[in-house]
Amino acid sequence: MAIVKFKDFSWTYQGYKKPTLRNINLSVKEGEFLGVIGRVGSGRSTFCMTMLGLIPHFFPGRIKGELVVDGLSVEESSIAELSTRVGLIFQSPDTQLTGAGTTVEEELAFGLENLGVPQKEMNKRVKKMVKLIGLESFRNRSPFELSGGQQQKVAIASVLIMQPRILVLDEPTAQLDPLGTSQVFDLIKKLAKKGITIILNTQKINYLAEFADRVAILNKNKLVKVDKARKILTDVKLLRRNGIIPSVYTQLSEQLIKEGLYKGSLCLTLGDAKKMIKKVVKK
Amino acid sequence: MPEAVLISYVKKKSFFHKLNPLTKLVLAVCAITLSFLLKNFMYNLILFFFIIPFAYEAKLLRQVFKPLRYLFIIFVFLFGIQSFFYPFRETVLVQLPFGFAIWLEGLLYAVDISARLLVIMVYGYLFVLTTHPGDLVSELKERGMPHWLGYVLITTLQLIPRVTSQTEVIIEAQRSRGLETQGSVIKRLKAYTPLLGPLFMGSVQNAVERAMALEARAFRAECDKTRYRDVKFTKQDKLITASSIILSIIYGVVSWLL
Repeated sequence: MAIVKFKDFSWTYQGYKKPTLRNINLSVKEGEFLGVIGRVGSGRSTFCMTMLGLIPHFFPGRIKGELVVDGLSVEESSIAELSTRVGLIFQSPDTQLTGAGTTVEEELAFGLENLGVPQKEMNKRVKKMVKLIGLESFRNRSPFELSGGQQQKVAIASVLIMQPRILVLDEPTAQLDPLGTSQVFDLIKKLAKKGITIILNTQKINYLAEFADRVAILNKNKLVKVDKARKILTDVKLLRRNGIIPSVYTQLSEQLIKEGLYKGSLCLTLGDAKKMIKKVVKK
Repeated sequence: MPEAVLISYVKKKSFFHKLNPLTKLVLAVCAITLSFLLKNFMYNLILFFFIIPFAYEAKLLRQVFKPLRYLFIIFVFLFGIQSFFYPFRETVLVQLPFGFAIWLEGLLYAVDISARLLVIMVYGYLFVLTTHPGDLVSELKERGMPHWLGYVLITTLQLIPRVTSQTEVIIEAQRSRGLETQGSVIKRLKAYTPLLGPLFMGSVQNAVERAMALEARAFRAECDKTRYRDVKFTKQDKLITASSIILSIIYGVVSWLL
């Protein structure tokens, strides 16, 4: 069953003539992992903000069409209501920590305090979350002392603790170093295995290739195509036309095919590349 | 940076630390109010030394007196100005040339104010040293302070160091583009004006992002809020709160009767 459903959805920010999202039709199944790619300014961040209701409740503008998330119409529900169903993670690890907690544990508990969850339950969930993100030894430290990757994990956990069924991540690793990036993706992988519906907007095709079920391409405020991850991410022409650089492995296989060293389909992941190189070396 | 993050709270294991923030606040407020009401500076000095058992119990005996060195400069000015120019002067203590004199009333007035400042400083500081801001806000919220105000208070404490470090980053960035930050006062003031733009814009940008993060944590959910930090108001708290108030009244009255 579709847990997120866009129906002819368009959005125009106040003061803008052209819509930032135009006629989006998309449904996401429960437990699915959807990757969202596209060039800068294609409307990806706006797309992510719709599902929590930041659009239209936080930013003023005009809405057309319909968006239903977990049975709730976004236009008719409050952000607070939606926040127990949708968790939204932003780019910057620093500014999305609310500063309401003087320690990691308190930062995690903040959302629950707002929802009026009893203390016992809070303690239980905080303990679980700290363990999930592997920051047990940091739980009494100030979240502002942590590294970018750790902060981003705290941010993810502080949203997850409200037990949403959908997690939307808007370029969660754009400001992180390689180590932080791999830490965050490890966590996302863990969550995907748990069956949470994940919608991930990212430029990191290499990571996306490994665990996305489907991938959507946005370009010029429109949804260009949605399909199986492998199909989209190895369609080199489609990617390039929409300003996306294919994964390094795809590029490598493309090059080898061009030079006649390899005959087969394009690679996508590290695993594919290994197989290909074994074949090439045998020759 | 943990020290900067929480301003000056010092974590120690003591009975005084464990007291409810409100109890400690009542104690501090009692002492500070008393300092204005007591008959003369002798009583204030006694009150000042009465901090010693509390500070000793909190294992902060030395720290509590540390900020007094900042008072020293104030004292110099206070004594300098008041002993010469106190408006209600009558008795000359020391006659100086050119018609100047040190007046007894002025000197006493300065002593009065100094003793009061000493009391305010140590009691206020002991409260700050022993009370975790999170506990204080949590307790105040429990007693009816609006939820948003609690957030504002605690975040302000946390974000001051953030703004400071942000300023440093901007200064470094401007310096690397040839901004001169050394030289005369005017030159320096001029150098710092271009920092305000990026700092202000950056803060606004951060505020918007933080507001979105708050929305994502159901900040505006309409329900009874709960709290994660557990702060208890025990029998001992009741006892100490009551006795601070009662003893303060007695001490204040006695100072005027004797």
